Amino acid sequence: MPPVIDPDKCIRCGKCVDTCAEDVYFGSRRKQVPRVTYPHECAYCNGCVEECPAEAIRLRVPLPMMLLYKPPA
Amino acid sequence: MRMEHLKCDVLCVGGGIGGLMAGIRAAELGAKVIVAEKGNVIHSGKSGGGCDHFLCYIPDVHGPDMNAYIEQMMTTQQAHNFQGLGMKRVRAHIAKTFDIIRLWDDWGIPTKQNGKYYFAGHAYPGGLRCLLKYEGRRQKPVLTDQARKRKVNIVNRVMIFDLLTRNGSVAGAVGIDTRTDKIIAFEAGSVILGTGGVTRLYPALTPGWLNNNATRPTLTGDGRLMAYRAGAELQDVEMRVLHVGPRYFARFGQATWVGVFRDPEGRPIGPFVTKPERLYGDITPEANKAIFRDYSKAGRGPVYMDGRGMTQEDYEDIMHWFPHEGLTPMLDHMKEEGIDHRKHPIEFMTYDQGCQGRVVTNEKGEASLKGLYAIGDELANGVSNASVFGWLCGESAVDHVKNAGVPGVTGMKEEVEERASLVHELSSRKEGADWTEVNVALQQIMHDYAGARRTEALLSAGAFHLARLKKKAYEIMRAGNRHELIRCLEVLNLIYLGEIVFQGALDRKETRGTHVRLDYPLTDSRMNGMIHVARRVNGKPITEWRAINK
Repeated sequence: MPPVIDPDKCIRCGKCVDTCAEDVYFGSRRKQVPRVTYPHECAYCNGCVEECPAEAIRLRVPLPMMLLYKPPA
Repeated sequence: MRMEHLKCDVLCVGGGIGGLMAGIRAAELGAKVIVAEKGNVIHSGKSGGGCDHFLCYIPDVHGPDMNAYIEQMMTTQQAHNFQGLGMKRVRAHIAKTFDIIRLWDDWGIPTKQNGKYYFAGHAYPGGLRCLLKYEGRRQKPVLTDQARKRKVNIVNRVMIFDLLTRNGSVAGAVGIDTRTDKIIAFEAGSVILGTGGVTRLYPALTPGWLNNNATRPTLTGDGRLMAYRAGAELQDVEMRVLHVGPRYFARFGQATWVGVFRDPEGRPIGPFVTKPERLYGDITPEANKAIFRDYSKAGRGPVYMDGRGMTQEDYEDIMHWFPHEGLTPMLDHMKEEGIDHRKHPIEFMTYDQGCQGRVVTNEKGEASLKGLYAIGDELANGVSNASVFGWLCGESAVDHVKNAGVPGVTGMKEEVEERASLVHELSSRKEGADWTEVNVALQQIMHDYAGARRTEALLSAGAFHLARLKKKAYEIMRAGNRHELIRCLEVLNLIYLGEIVFQGALDRKETRGTHVRLDYPLTDSRMNGMIHVARRVNGKPITEWRAINK
């Protein structure tokens, strides 16, 4: 479930924790890799991905939200 | 619980496009302004992820007759957005749009392409194009910066959940800190509600999930419900809203896609375009948003957004606008999955957005409670309307404070403590139902008893079931922490809204648009030009019909 944080890239600045409108990182501790406490409440807005100065966050789109398309003939 | 006291001239509840624009304008006019936001203004609100289109009338582009622009606009989905608002308000909105666009451009939200204004999408081929394309991906950080430059006090992570009143005027509000054990009493001369629309009242796209919505899951009608509880009027709350978008990745941005809506055999399902037309898009669903659902039900689906045959310029256009419309996550997903819109027709579907409604306001944007204003989705849908009415209500709110002053709230402490007792109850229960349990129970009642097909028997039964649920929610809902407490308060707001939907739907004894009464299949023409008003009397909603203030 989104978002996914790469702990090796994360610089523990807390910017994602500060700016997430849905507060999915609620309960994260300062100067630690943020905890995705409420992944089911993510709005997939990409806000944290955009704000992360270390490009350490990506959104994993859950399977029920998979985009459906018509296969080429 | 700690109590904090903040005082201002103008309190903006919600820091979306409307709240920030209202705050900016009120501060420019010299008011002391607070914007209180449940999340963080940087990315909150329906267009917190961006937007790429803005209703904007420019005489040099559209001609000198603004009414011709409005007539064209009202042949699209905007007719629904502005239904029941009155043409005077619509004209006031459109007349102001170009001023706002020029401001935004100055502030750093790009509104021109290669030095020119570019209009595309949501349009009939050959017709007037009403929507200006603009680069709104970073609009919220830009507006936040402008608000701070004008010394607007932005208070993030506070959910305002009730208004304080004195003698028929708004006097302030009560908010809960979403992270720490604190309650905040706001004393204000004017309050501007801009908390967005309503999500989570009806089920989302994915069964059992509370969140797969085109809009944000935390937009729960907070503003209109605090207005209602304080005695203000709401209108047309029972009217249902449909939208369309990709299956199953619920998103707005229908007109950012370029292509033709086709059936499985490749036949266009609408009469408007037969090949991708990026200046217009395929406006078929704006004639009938239910059309994709109806195709599926009739065994004629799925329906595809078919971009095959687009030019390289079309493709580059899409790639440019997707991120500005907030669709970067979808674009990334398509890349990961090897989905190419030039080759792969994408399935589209009808989204059931639940109910909309709005706060009843006069031409100044003022609600039936003096000093209270409503903007954004509390009034009408869209960034253009949110920004214009935000700006205008910022002005009205300052005028009100200049004339009436800040009323002051003697005895405020007791009132705040009364609200705090609910918070304490929800937080101190050791066992019971969490907010998701109550929310799902609410959704199934709304879906099954006030859904796509309604009858007096169903609505009456549903209203009874909802009353039982409300009682139980107050008795056993529990919050394990501060975050869950906020969700609990949101669910209570949704329950109140559900009550109004049932009452409104029972009293609307006709079929109109997506409000389908199987026992009243005809549209009652006597209700054309009327609004259906709900207000709270003795703790319960009552409704009445009133002519639109034209």
